[in-house]
Amino acid sequence: MESRARGEMNTLASFYREREQAILGGGFILLLILIWQIVPALISLPRGIALFFTTPVEVIKSFYQLVVRNEIQSHVYTSAVEFVVGLGLAIVVGLPLGLVMGRSKILDAMLDPFVTAFNATPRLVFLPLLILWLGIGIWSKIMIVFVGALFPLLINTYEGVKNVDRVLVNVVRSFGASEWQTMKVVVLPNSVPYIVAGLRLAIGRALLGVVVGEFFGASRGLGFMIAGAATNYKVDVVFVGVTIFMGLSLALTHLVKRLEARLSRWRPDEVKTF
Amino acid sequence: MNSAERQRAMVFKRFYAEYQRLILGMVSVVGMMILWELAFTYVIPLNPFFFTKPSLIAEAFKQQIVSGSLWHDVAISSKAFLLGFGLAVVVGIPIGVFMGWRRRAEYTLDPFLTALYASPLVALAPLLIIIFGVGLTGKVALIFLLSVFPFIFNVFAGVKCTDRLLVNVVRSFGGREKDIYFKVILPSIMPYIVAGARIAIGRGIVGILVTEFYAASEGIGFAISRFGDTYRLPDMFAAIMVLMIVAVGLTEGLRKLETLLAPWKVGQEAR
Amino acid sequence: MVPCIEARSLTLTFTPKNRDPVTALQGFDLQVSKGEFLSLVGPSGCGKSTFLNVLLGLLKPDSGELSLNGKQIDGPGQERAMVFQEFGLLPWRTVLANVQLGLELKGVAPSIRHERALDLIKLVGLERFQNHYPHELSGGMKQRVGLARALATEPEVLLMDEPFAALDAQTRDLMQTELLQIWERTKKTVLFVTHSIEEAAYLSDRVVIMTARPGRMKNVFKIDLPRPRDYEMRLTPEFNDIKAKIWSTLKDELSGKAAGNGI
Repeated sequence: MESRARGEMNTLASFYREREQAILGGGFILLLILIWQIVPALISLPRGIALFFTTPVEVIKSFYQLVVRNEIQSHVYTSAVEFVVGLGLAIVVGLPLGLVMGRSKILDAMLDPFVTAFNATPRLVFLPLLILWLGIGIWSKIMIVFVGALFPLLINTYEGVKNVDRVLVNVVRSFGASEWQTMKVVVLPNSVPYIVAGLRLAIGRALLGVVVGEFFGASRGLGFMIAGAATNYKVDVVFVGVTIFMGLSLALTHLVKRLEARLSRWRPDEVKTF
Repeated sequence: MNSAERQRAMVFKRFYAEYQRLILGMVSVVGMMILWELAFTYVIPLNPFFFTKPSLIAEAFKQQIVSGSLWHDVAISSKAFLLGFGLAVVVGIPIGVFMGWRRRAEYTLDPFLTALYASPLVALAPLLIIIFGVGLTGKVALIFLLSVFPFIFNVFAGVKCTDRLLVNVVRSFGGREKDIYFKVILPSIMPYIVAGARIAIGRGIVGILVTEFYAASEGIGFAISRFGDTYRLPDMFAAIMVLMIVAVGLTEGLRKLETLLAPWKVGQEAR
Repeated sequence: MVPCIEARSLTLTFTPKNRDPVTALQGFDLQVSKGEFLSLVGPSGCGKSTFLNVLLGLLKPDSGELSLNGKQIDGPGQERAMVFQEFGLLPWRTVLANVQLGLELKGVAPSIRHERALDLIKLVGLERFQNHYPHELSGGMKQRVGLARALATEPEVLLMDEPFAALDAQTRDLMQTELLQIWERTKKTVLFVTHSIEEAAYLSDRVVIMTARPGRMKNVFKIDLPRPRDYEMRLTPEFNDIKAKIWSTLKDELSGKAAGNGI
């Protein structure tokens, strides 16, 4: 009987060892959520803090309410439109521009100061200007998303094109390929991993643009919902909004990362971009 | 062309080739400014509620410096920024080292922190402002939250990349844990810290802007927003440009520092 | 005569994650006399580097005894110093600062360790490069820095783990001769691990052949060539005899005759 107990201990130990990473990481997060939930039950919060406090369960209840009462759907829709259109525009403008800049040294040199300057500056700084120009309708938000997402895409595409192996280009050229063919056969495939990395960064920036754009000049959208709820001390609604953004961000980033990994299989080293 | 002229032509050619990028860049920027000014002075009618031109921007800029309002705004924002950023350095680096050095710490903290890093934490801004009010604390809190993560993750990556051989070398000469931290890990991660700082600056500035747009009465973000509300476009553009210059200056400066600090590393780039 | 280093029945098994355990050393015995130059030769993976690391104190054996001058070895200590195959120089420190590392960790005063380091830098012939960084030095120069650093703490035993393997053939020959000259002057006990029979025979008083993994001592050869040795000795028939003998012993291990035999 003793040996059976030991056998069970061993399987338990090896189970833990194999999944240690997931157990520790997931466990920690669950623990935090649990603590968060239990805190008000354990200590009575002073009046000041109780006003801002909420618990995971309340957040879930709030979310349910908002869905049932059909209050949240239009916000989600608005934010989604801003995100998709803005990101789409950024792709449509950024990719070709990045390709061209990567291939033309003169254009690259001329645009470089602007790209550097605009990349280093948080695009957020243009929000008041965009609101001034476009009002608080949907277009100012789309524009801030566009401007935010443009630069990672542009720069990464550009880097991908620039980093193409000269030898490969020469090989293709020696077979009589035109510039267009060279692009198609060598430059584009080489750049794909870079572009996807840029997409990953762009998604984060785009979401940021949605959030902040809706804080300041909006009448609809999840960010608007968060800001409004904060002013009315409805902290649970705030967290509904925050959680939705977090979830979206994680899901999208994860998807793109997997796409990135697939498309980067031929590359010998990993270029990690944060 | 006689030989003297040919020589001069060669010198020019070589100068141009070396500084080509710089020259073209400057030509581009100056050219754009000139075109902008000329276009809105002679060709397109300038609607002052909609746009402006370089000469007006320059005038507004001068006014802001002379009246001292520019310095005041920049100072207010800088104070919050430095506090939040400083806090991020002091908190982020040890966490990154801890995670990089102890595998259990990495397993426990990585998923949670990665999730936070990937999320738009600015979404919490209204909440922070409601809790901490409109003053310095709220700003610093948001700036800290936004800028701490690049430090954590860059330092984490740097620590994991530490050459284990060097750790063994120090151990073999009788070095203890603290020697390993200070003589091997810390010097190894300096380039990573600077790279993290470079990324964190942009995020920190976002923090300033968000809090100052939202609910503030001072600071450069507030100035930009206020100028927009009152349709003072030249002032607005001037303030935006000041911010751009500061942002570029800091970012490029740090990039330079990165290359300086690592003369022993051969070609490592982290954007 | 009490041996300087004595290893008895050392056994060490590595258990890496998700892989089968590897027994690097099994019942390993060795005795080294004071001031002796001893080489360890053996097939890849036979545990010779593992043994050096145990001697250095970075690894703990599962069983067996290991003593230095009669005292049990229990962790690193400055009576033993290692010269590493991949140099292991701190890239952000100058040559001078690198050589001082051991003294610095011991708490020696800056002025004293500065002087000591300079002496050793002169000994290895790098005086002109004291303020250079490792990436500015060639492989041979880097290893000389490694040697200077190891000698700086005045250890009794010098451990060298294939120190010249990363160098080109000519530099290697030069370094071997230089090493012998320095050894003659400093009279340390040296434990030298190498794959090269020629190198082992040229440098050592004794050459120990180890078996394939798990490692044990298979045979010992005494090299009776007179000292000081020079390059010409490597061309004599006596030297070739010695090499042939070593090779024939080693050959069995390399061809895997012992593989699959287990214990």
